[in-house]
Amino acid sequence: MSGILDHLSIGFGVAFSPTNLLVAAIGSFLGTIVGVLPGLGPINGVAMLIPIAYAMNLPPETSLILLAAVYVGAEYGGRITSILLNVPGEASAIMTTLDGYPLARQGLANVALSLSAWSAFCGATVSVIGITLLSPFLARWALAFGPAEYFVLMVFSFCCLTSLLGKQPVKGVLAAMIGLGISVIGVDSNSGVYRYTFDSVHLADGIDFVVVVIGLFAVSELLEMLDKSSSGNSVEVKPSGRKLFNFSEIMFTKFAVARSALIGFVVGVLPGAGASVAAAVAYSQEKRITEARDPNAKFGKGDMRGLVAPEAAATASAIGSFVPMLTLGVPGSGTTAVMMGALTLYNITPGPVLFDAQPQLVWGLIASLFVANVLLFIMNVPMVRVFSKVLSVPAWLLVPGVMCISYIGVYAINSGTFDLLLVAIIGAIGYFLRKLEVPMAPLVLGVVLGDMMEQNLRRALSITNGDVAVLYSSPVSIGLWIAAIAVVVLPQIFRRMRRKLPVDPAGE
Amino acid sequence: MNDRILGILALCLAAFMTWAGWDIEAPFAYEPVGPRAFPMLIAGIIGLCGLRLAFKGGNQVEPAAPGVNTRIALMMAVALGYAFLFQWLGFIIATAIMTVLVARLFDGTWVKSAIGGIVMGVAFFLLFDKVLDVVLPTGLLGGLL
Repeated sequence: MSGILDHLSIGFGVAFSPTNLLVAAIGSFLGTIVGVLPGLGPINGVAMLIPIAYAMNLPPETSLILLAAVYVGAEYGGRITSILLNVPGEASAIMTTLDGYPLARQGLANVALSLSAWSAFCGATVSVIGITLLSPFLARWALAFGPAEYFVLMVFSFCCLTSLLGKQPVKGVLAAMIGLGISVIGVDSNSGVYRYTFDSVHLADGIDFVVVVIGLFAVSELLEMLDKSSSGNSVEVKPSGRKLFNFSEIMFTKFAVARSALIGFVVGVLPGAGASVAAAVAYSQEKRITEARDPNAKFGKGDMRGLVAPEAAATASAIGSFVPMLTLGVPGSGTTAVMMGALTLYNITPGPVLFDAQPQLVWGLIASLFVANVLLFIMNVPMVRVFSKVLSVPAWLLVPGVMCISYIGVYAINSGTFDLLLVAIIGAIGYFLRKLEVPMAPLVLGVVLGDMMEQNLRRALSITNGDVAVLYSSPVSIGLWIAAIAVVVLPQIFRRMRRKLPVDPAGE
Repeated sequence: MNDRILGILALCLAAFMTWAGWDIEAPFAYEPVGPRAFPMLIAGIIGLCGLRLAFKGGNQVEPAAPGVNTRIALMMAVALGYAFLFQWLGFIIATAIMTVLVARLFDGTWVKSAIGGIVMGVAFFLLFDKVLDVVLPTGLLGGLL
């Protein structure tokens, strides 16, 4: 118990330093704006800021705090448009529109916004407590992992990410392999051999992770915006009405918040399932439980319990998704994969050792996630009109702005034209892959994990002099293989069963 | 565009990776798995995915509205051109040109686009280069800045 308090005091010591507090505030503000902007979500905001934070020579924990605050802020910003406009900023905010928008139509927009901030804050609290209890335990367990176990663990997390995303797992596998293929380019660190460099000096160090991420999540995102011909929306937030929720509303929603936060945390810890899955699960769960008990429930027509459930779950899972990245060094979602790539810029490899080697970084990050949620809660109520003004930024100004900031970031890494050209090309390729419904998250995970995966595989096989049996000899790796196969096979079986069910009664 | 084309492209990628990576060899092999095995494994899996997609086909992508494809091609050209000119012309000039062109693609008027371009170039240069210490190329304006 005293260990936990020690950890938290280290963490809050870091998070409450004036610089980091300021950075967290700026991050949550910027993140909220990015989340409100049409077409941009957390992963875009984090991707654009990584190289800039690095170029500003921020220390690793400060820049990680900035990125984490942007992440949380952007998740929150997506909620603002869902509630006010019925336009979900990103996938995890879809569930928020169901009851949030009807509430806004009833003149309770400000109450809905502040209540969603409150439930996000509660979700964050539950998750931070969860991380504090769970991660040292997981990290100690992972210390016993050998190279073979690590390799299988990475296979497992790829399986999770590809089978849960989209309806065609084969495209997820393809994306992951393209990512791994990109990671192979450059000097092989074991033998010093050049691979796929085609005698180019620029490729000798490999393709920078930042270049791939900005190409895929900034440039190709902008190309997609041309498709959708999004124009600036202007929205009026009525100044009248209550600004803040009241005590009876807290009491009314408290069980919904608590249940959903727990669901969100558990879903977040599982690799692959992100905030959107958590929000959907929590909403349907809450709807089922409440409608069975309460005849006055009006889910879908502006029930506050329907608003708080996805909010608490999404935030809890966003924070919970840091658990696999920090403890195992294997990120569970696209955004945490991008954050892990940011750490590799500083030559920090996340994993179980990090808890002993860099406690101020790990616990500072965890505490900052909490602080960022408090700041968002405080900022939200007075500034909601400022944020909704952002919506009126027209596309013709927004798109060049994003393009410009992306290029600044890429240029900051190597100060060269070659990387910029690569960004443009990768952006174009990413656009076509998106059109063909190839998911981007496994690709990013492949780029981030590629080197580690190959090194662990080769190390494992070196120990046994090439005997492949080492990959399935220990209980841990056998368990992980079984889990990996289950993750791939079970959803397929469920899908078959669901497809058969409605047919059978009709046939009789 | 459909899944068959994606599958065929994946097969081409797999073939290319195999062809270009076949002679990767370590001069001194002191470990059982050399630098070639992992890329070949990836190429193999890409090939399998490609076969499956090419065999199954389907999933036709809806054709874009008329004119959109031209605009997307133009946007890609601007992204490449901006990359070429970023260092050579310098940040401010390249950004101003890029902003005007992109703004026109997104239906901004000439006057608004021009003002937006110049303001964005100068403002972002001051913000990033002078305030945030992220060094940007000065290019043709090198003597002035």
